[in-house]
Amino acid sequence: MKLKTLQIFLTLIVFCTLFSSCFKDVDFSEAENIQLTPDLKVSIIEYQLNEIDFTDSETGIFTPVIHDTIRLEYLDDSYVQDGLMYAEFRFKHENTFSFPIGSKIIFLSEENNSQFQVNYTIPAGSDVNPGIIDTLHIMEGEEIKKVRRSINMAIELQILEEPKSLEGELDFSSRGLYRFEF
Amino acid sequence: MLYNVDDLSQSLLQNPGTNIDFVKHFGIPFFSQIHVGVGSTGVTAYDIFSDDGRNINNKVREVMNSITANDFVAVNEQLEILTLGWKVGQRGYFSGGIYQEFDAFAYFPKDPAVLAFEGNNDYIGQNFDFSDVSFTGEMLTVYHIGFNYKFNDELTLGARLKGYSGIFNVESIDNTGVFRTDRTPNGDNFFRHSLEDLNVTVNTSGYASLNDDGGMTVDQAAKELLSRSFFGQNVGVGIDFGFNYKMTDQFSVNGSFQDLGVVYHVKDVENYSYFGSYATDGLEPLFPELDDDEETIPYWDVFEEQLDANLRDETYANNYKYWRPLKFNAGFEFGTGMALLPCDPLVDVKPRFLNLFGMLVSGVKRPRGFTYGVTAYWDRKLNDNFRFRLAYGADNFTQTKIGVMGSVRMSNFNIYMAANDLIGFTNLAKANSASLQLGLQFIFKEL
Repeated sequence: MKLKTLQIFLTLIVFCTLFSSCFKDVDFSEAENIQLTPDLKVSIIEYQLNEIDFTDSETGIFTPVIHDTIRLEYLDDSYVQDGLMYAEFRFKHENTFSFPIGSKIIFLSEENNSQFQVNYTIPAGSDVNPGIIDTLHIMEGEEIKKVRRSINMAIELQILEEPKSLEGELDFSSRGLYRFEF
Repeated sequence: MLYNVDDLSQSLLQNPGTNIDFVKHFGIPFFSQIHVGVGSTGVTAYDIFSDDGRNINNKVREVMNSITANDFVAVNEQLEILTLGWKVGQRGYFSGGIYQEFDAFAYFPKDPAVLAFEGNNDYIGQNFDFSDVSFTGEMLTVYHIGFNYKFNDELTLGARLKGYSGIFNVESIDNTGVFRTDRTPNGDNFFRHSLEDLNVTVNTSGYASLNDDGGMTVDQAAKELLSRSFFGQNVGVGIDFGFNYKMTDQFSVNGSFQDLGVVYHVKDVENYSYFGSYATDGLEPLFPELDDDEETIPYWDVFEEQLDANLRDETYANNYKYWRPLKFNAGFEFGTGMALLPCDPLVDVKPRFLNLFGMLVSGVKRPRGFTYGVTAYWDRKLNDNFRFRLAYGADNFTQTKIGVMGSVRMSNFNIYMAANDLIGFTNLAKANSASLQLGLQFIFKEL
């Protein structure tokens, strides 16, 4: 009789434990609220120019305005179109030319319509004391749509004073900090 | 929980050289052993989904910070399709059968997960290591025959030959590669991004045909996998070996290894490989002198071409062999409380102990080494028909693993059930692991 009681008792414990087992104190519907929120720091473009870049290669004549356009294909990718919430652009110029230079950075749509611009003057400098400008440009809220619409980055550099000497260098660094929500 | 349970035929699967006290067995097809075990180190469902009002993304972040690349998730399922066995002569026992097994194991891919979840902004100058990606998964049918032989009163040896029939397999191990972003104050730009020595390979078999023609639905894929259940396309062979040695009447040592074997994947194989190195500071405009009607230089296309030339991906069909996860068991057992035997001089039965105290060390070979577990148990035979085992164990999943096993015999019909990590069963959300085994079979004894 004693054995029988123990037998029933153990069987009941096992069955009660196993069949009453469940997931408690959890809310699996919260899975819908899980977000991937990566902050990606990405190099964009860089260049190092000298007097040759401001000189016409055929005529040798000084060229006060130079420009180029770079396609940033990733801005059209679905993860940017769907998930980009914040963009912070950092542009830095270091100028050892003895004259100030106007810099225009224009973000263009596929149809070449300007979406937003970052314009400033790079101060004149020298070899020992370069003119430096370091800017941050933040796009968030409604303005982030302008980044999503952009695909090309146009750069224009214009020498703003008649140069006494063309010798020098202009270095450019840029990066983007992109915040996503998926 | 069934290791060394001498009146269950399943103990022969864990140690073919175990001591048994039955003379014939026959399992109810598909019901003689149903085993499911799930475990996760480092994280529970409660850690992420706890209903406490805290933001779930903060909880995910906390888990990602605390978990390591050596934490893992393991799932194992076994379904015994057929099992039978009988005594051969006075000392031997033949057993054989078929079972289906699913086994999946994955280390937590911490660095790629952190990169996807948090990005590189807070990790400048640090490596994101792709060797963190390491996982295996397989579904197969196992055909086996084994022989247990009692050499003398002290020593019993056993071996089992297994034929594997692979249904599905995937493995990605020994991967390499590092992605990092470095500040470059003396460089051309603020940062330099580099992907060094990337070599990630995923081998699959039984997957490509499921993915043909635009892929199957889940139902179609399940049907296709079931259709391969008995004779899969890839075969292999393996052995188990075990022993039991009685040092004194009361004290014995035992040990076994299982699945020293390999499956050769030669059909329906598809391999994916990603390899190469590349570094970039960003695009570099050259300010070319262009006429108004001239196109600008396609810097992005050039960049993509360089990327494709240096970071490559290939899909091919190379045969590969897959070593099954080797398991080992080593233990000792001490018996007390001699059972009363029938006073019949014609029946030659060795005395048995009603209480057995044992300890077992077990392990499974995984891509980065063995996972271990230690279990101490008390095994009690209440009478000829009812037996239970209580166990306490510690392993990679938990330090407080309480297990219970019960086996009931009605005439020759046997029902058993075993559950491990009972504390976890009280709330599976907080459990790091849980496993359950049950079965129905006929066991025939001399008495």
